[in-house]
Amino acid sequence: MNITFPSLIALLLFPGGLFLLGSGLFFEYLDRKLVARFQNRIGPRWFQPLADFIKLLAKEEVIPAGTIKSLFILLPIFALAAALTAALSVPLFGFKPVFSYNGDLIVTLYLLSMMTLCIGLAGANTEDRFSIVGATRALTQLFSYEAPFLLAMLGPAIALGTWNISLINQGATQQSLWFIVSQPIGFLAALIGLMGKLELPPFDAPEAETEIVAGALTEYSGRGFGLFKIGRDIELVVGLTLIASFYLGGFSTPLDFLWKVFVLLLITAALQSLFARLRIDQTVGLWWRIGAILVLCQLVLIIVGNTLSPFIAPLLGG
Amino acid sequence: MTIGSMLGDVVKSFFKKPVTEKYPFVRQEAPENLRGKLVWEPEKCTGCMLCVKDCPSNALELIVLDKVNKRFVMKYNLDQCTFCAQCVINCRFSCLNMSEEQWELASTNKEPFEVYYGREEDVKFLLEKASRGEAEGPCKED
Amino acid sequence: MEAKQKSEKFIVPIGPQHPALKEPGHFEFTVDGEIVTNATARLGFVHRGMEKGVEDRNWTQGLYLMERVCGICSHVHAMAYALGVEKLANIQAPPRAQAIRELVAELERIHSHLLWLGVAAHEGGFDTLFMFSWRDRETVMDLLETITGNRVNYSANVLGGVKIDINDAQKDALRRGMDFLEERTKHYLKVVTEDETFLGRTRKIGVMTFEEATLLGAIGPTGRASGVQRDVRVDSPYAGYPDFPVNIVTSDAGDLEARFVVRIKELYESYRLVREIVDHLPGGDLTVKVPRRIPEGEVISRVEAPRGELFYFMKSNGTDKPERIKVRTPSLCNWGSVLTTAIGHKLADMPMILAGIDPCFSCNDRLVMINGKKTETQVWDWEDLRQYGIEYYK
Ligand code: SF4
Ligand code: SF4
Repeated sequence: MNITFPSLIALLLFPGGLFLLGSGLFFEYLDRKLVARFQNRIGPRWFQPLADFIKLLAKEEVIPAGTIKSLFILLPIFALAAALTAALSVPLFGFKPVFSYNGDLIVTLYLLSMMTLCIGLAGANTEDRFSIVGATRALTQLFSYEAPFLLAMLGPAIALGTWNISLINQGATQQSLWFIVSQPIGFLAALIGLMGKLELPPFDAPEAETEIVAGALTEYSGRGFGLFKIGRDIELVVGLTLIASFYLGGFSTPLDFLWKVFVLLLITAALQSLFARLRIDQTVGLWWRIGAILVLCQLVLIIVGNTLSPFIAPLLGG
Repeated sequence: MTIGSMLGDVVKSFFKKPVTEKYPFVRQEAPENLRGKLVWEPEKCTGCMLCVKDCPSNALELIVLDKVNKRFVMKYNLDQCTFCAQCVINCRFSCLNMSEEQWELASTNKEPFEVYYGREEDVKFLLEKASRGEAEGPCKED
Repeated sequence: MEAKQKSEKFIVPIGPQHPALKEPGHFEFTVDGEIVTNATARLGFVHRGMEKGVEDRNWTQGLYLMERVCGICSHVHAMAYALGVEKLANIQAPPRAQAIRELVAELERIHSHLLWLGVAAHEGGFDTLFMFSWRDRETVMDLLETITGNRVNYSANVLGGVKIDINDAQKDALRRGMDFLEERTKHYLKVVTEDETFLGRTRKIGVMTFEEATLLGAIGPTGRASGVQRDVRVDSPYAGYPDFPVNIVTSDAGDLEARFVVRIKELYESYRLVREIVDHLPGGDLTVKVPRRIPEGEVISRVEAPRGELFYFMKSNGTDKPERIKVRTPSLCNWGSVLTTAIGHKLADMPMILAGIDPCFSCNDRLVMINGKKTETQVWDWEDLRQYGIEYYK
């Protein structure tokens, strides 16, 4: 849809800002509900994430001794801001992104990683043993999935020859074959990478509650914790939007957006409930031994295909 | 060696009705012989105190109004009872029985858990006496 | 003190309050990166003084107090106590009562093992298995509720027999329940032995060899998973077990996977036993009379709880109150195995290794004071004890 909103409204109300926060909470609800249904439970009611968020905001924030105070307060804000900024160049809900420029794909991907960095810093900032172990794990995990995830997102970009998200989105709509079919490895790597980014099970070793309580965020309470949580919800929205627009043939209407993202959410929820938690060494092994190599192979294939396409395009009919 | 061997369960349960229930709104039915609230029939009681003696949690108090005419009131502290049914076994005249009632033992005060059993006029007499502040000390084990 | 000397080491404390532990216990894992290099345990946060408390009650009341030593294996405690008292009084409960005791004990084992399966899966981050096994556990909980009237502390025993009888409708319910559970359990066995991600967390993890297991005195399913052929139900059958014998289930692997397999296979045994008892329930009375005053004497009563051998020592002085009851619960014997197997594993494996013995904390806790000067006697009142506790945990 080619409606453009005045930038202030787009930033603060719709589709960014407030609406994004709301949909982040809604996505969290959907995710929890789906996982619950997969486990034969009822699951939360629709306002549960909102209620959690309000409750967290209303709670006292305890700043533990031995931390750098300003960092402790600023990190959650920074993480949320990064997530909100990342949303600016993404075709949320099928609308045209607010800011679109060549190379915004790379900027967005880096902004998405800010969250993990902030969490890692937040954990290292406190003296809590659980936080420190959690921070180490979060950063280790970051190094394992980040490169394959990046390469997976680059696949469609290289195939279409542009690094502008909205152009990729448009390009994807015009493709006769969705990228999920032509680049299945990339799709899987992107989806699983996103789960790793969001520390969803089975990649929740950095916050494995039975080992290290809440991982890096153990010392966070009240406002800070709430902001981190909602930041993660927004990342979920942005990440799913990116994957849907790249691999599921893009979208130009909100309806298109909704069903595609819902399908993705269904898949992630199923993946979340199917596996036992991976130990951090298993996660790293999985990504570097299998993930990275497969994605690299695919990338090489795409590049080779791209250079050869003028010659074989007539054969493939596209 | 499989990956995701619970896939069948997961997919099936997505289309099934959840097994969890919205508890305060939906209540499960109690099984037939649930050991719930104790009931006492005064007619047959001889005042032998066997039930009081073996109650592990001192939930029973037998208050004797008139031993000769067999006027007893049973004070039953529902919140102390552990529903073990020892008293039911002990009573040789089967005055005591466990009903299917009351398995949700939550309240903000103690009152609903103080149950008096006995002939109506006896209980009334006792409560009136208690409100005048001169209740007889309840008969305990020792 | 030890901790202070090694203060430059990185110690991860787990407990007394920690999401992995539903009961309070305190563990300190010294880690080097993610590898655990030392482990210590400290218990005693929930000492309840039950052994002393039972000396203040009469023999009948004691039954219900001992039943509350553990919420998961309540029936075996009551059964061990009742069997001990019956031995002291030199009487025998009728065969029907003994069979019903065994029936309830096996149902309790089913509920305990299914509960454990869920908890262990949860410790490994496999919440779906957790939810499903607990869902199916409801079946056996409902069965227990239908036949005894209570869900947790069943109070099926009285001194000299049982309170409950099994009628035909209940028999049918039991048969149906066992059929359903058997099918589900087969599925779970497949999941824990075949699912790649789960095996990554259990296979070759926490290995305890047969030698270690005998040295550390591991008992119950934990020991049997390391090849220790020990099961009180087989070695010295009690209650209904002489008439309805069990087959011992063991494994030689000794790792976490073996502990899963042994427990799940024990579930099959329990299903078989429940069916057999239901089909061949002996007739006759449910109780015999037990005197209020138990004759003087000492006795040892042993039963196989879901977690291993449960041991009761009972002493009577001829009055209507016990003189001394000493309980040794199975979890206590298995702590050593946790602390030894933990070393060299990753921190991430700790919750599962801990859960592998199916630990139970509150039943372990005793207060032992050793008075060096033998002549002095000491009297402590509540306030002293409280103060001592505060100092101790400071
Ligand atoms: S059921 Fe047990 S606890 Fe309750 S009154 Fe009877 S003997 Fe006492
Ligand atoms: S045991 Fe029965 S007869 Fe005796 S006092 Fe209790 S209720 Fe009455």
